[in-house]
Amino acid sequence: MASKASISRISLANLSPARGSLHKQKRVGRGQGSNHGGTAGRGHNGQNSRSGAGIKPGFEGGQTPITKLFPKRGFVNQNEKVWAPVNLERIQHWINLGRISCSPEKPITARELLLSGCIHDVHDGIKVLGDGAEFLTSKIYITPSRASKTAIQAIEELGGQVVCKYYNPLALRDCIKGRTDRIEAAPTRRQDIVWYGKFQNRGYLSSELHKKIKTTPVFQERWKLLSDQLGQWQKQDFDYEKKKKKQT
Amino acid sequence: MLKSTLPRLQALAKNTLKHGRIRRFGPSLTKVTQLKLKRAAAPPLQSSPSLKALPVSRPVYVSLTTPLHSKEQAEDQLVALNPTVFHQPIRRDILHLCVIQYRDSLRQGSANTKTRGEVRGSGRKIRPQKGSGRARLGDAQSPMLRGGGVAFGPKPRDFSTKLPRKVIQMGMRVALSSKVQDSNLGVMETLDWPTGKTRELARKIEALKLKNTLFITGEDEAPIMLQRAMRNVPMVRLTTSKQVNIYDMLKWPRVMLDTKAVDFFEQTLGKAHQQ
Repeated sequence: MASKASISRISLANLSPARGSLHKQKRVGRGQGSNHGGTAGRGHNGQNSRSGAGIKPGFEGGQTPITKLFPKRGFVNQNEKVWAPVNLERIQHWINLGRISCSPEKPITARELLLSGCIHDVHDGIKVLGDGAEFLTSKIYITPSRASKTAIQAIEELGGQVVCKYYNPLALRDCIKGRTDRIEAAPTRRQDIVWYGKFQNRGYLSSELHKKIKTTPVFQERWKLLSDQLGQWQKQDFDYEKKKKKQT
Repeated sequence: MLKSTLPRLQALAKNTLKHGRIRRFGPSLTKVTQLKLKRAAAPPLQSSPSLKALPVSRPVYVSLTTPLHSKEQAEDQLVALNPTVFHQPIRRDILHLCVIQYRDSLRQGSANTKTRGEVRGSGRKIRPQKGSGRARLGDAQSPMLRGGGVAFGPKPRDFSTKLPRKVIQMGMRVALSSKVQDSNLGVMETLDWPTGKTRELARKIEALKLKNTLFITGEDEAPIMLQRAMRNVPMVRLTTSKQVNIYDMLKWPRVMLDTKAVDFFEQTLGKAHQQ
């Protein structure tokens, strides 16, 4: 047989760590030879050479620190949404390169945009914007969270279709992962219900939009039900008390 | 050893078996699996990137040792061992990590000292701050003074360290492979002994030249008769495959497995798709 690499057998006596895997600990105050003896890296006298934590970060010796000079302002909106913008020019370029494709049965969603590299991060949803609308030449079927007026106009001029859907964080995650077993939730906030009920936004809950897209594969029966239920506010009015005639 | 077994290997390669177990005995059995060999002769790679080429893996062979309980010499038989478990390149640094982690876990960590707060004594100031001409002192338990507490002394602590599970598994595979490489791994059919008498067992071990051996059985518990008989034999030890660790494997010069133990190691340490 070929000669063995080691003459003696591998035992506890001839094990060693990988070269460069172990580093000696820095031990200060242990003599001149270590380069860290004497004052142990603290310099001479002064507050920092004493035991204890020293000064707190941001302390400026008593002078008003820069973090306190200026007044606080405003508040942070917890409901704020950050939309990932994608322009029509970019989508057209991706289609030209063959990196993305769409059809009435398989519209462009957040998943396709993310996986093809058109979008790098989905944030709270996709918003289609109209920059470079003059370069758009193909029919697009897209279901973003939002779309600008110019984008809607440009897409529909060429025979495409835009349907703005409400995605809550879970629904967006499912869309990206390609999970279809869960039902996507309807909007609960008044602002969202109103917004997605408007045809000018091409919201998926608007009855006018349903008339147009009823035959297309994008449309789901559930949207009709939701639109009826969530759209009831449009027909409702306040109850006015009927004025009673004064009885003499 | 392997030179002489080449003709036997070719004979083994001709036989096939139903289920996908690679470890089988030599010509005395009729069927040996051809799964590995089939995979080696697999069709060429397709263009789809999801397929990976599996490296051709040939099993490593070890000749079967006479069992302890039998009186005659065993016929010349070979055991085919899974190369993923028994034929890994030797990684001494991985073995080092595993041994260090095992020894860390053994540390008792019970060293303890009293700090100046724990040493018994009052907090009375020993002498006035000024006037005596000597250094200023507070209570008598300060670490500067004789009889005082220890400044940064040891306290009971846990010295155990964590290693990724896969590193430990690799360490076991490397340890077994190192034993095979050093020709210090043997396989017996079963590890059994009829009576609890040590005398005959000691003689048998001497005859088979199995001193300084760690016997590993694949059963849940080692057979009680063998345990009793082997208890008093010097430089010999018996464990189960579930209890054995890398430290023991490296400490003992020779290792003797039984076929159940080989199965156990191949199942737990081998690759999932090779089952």
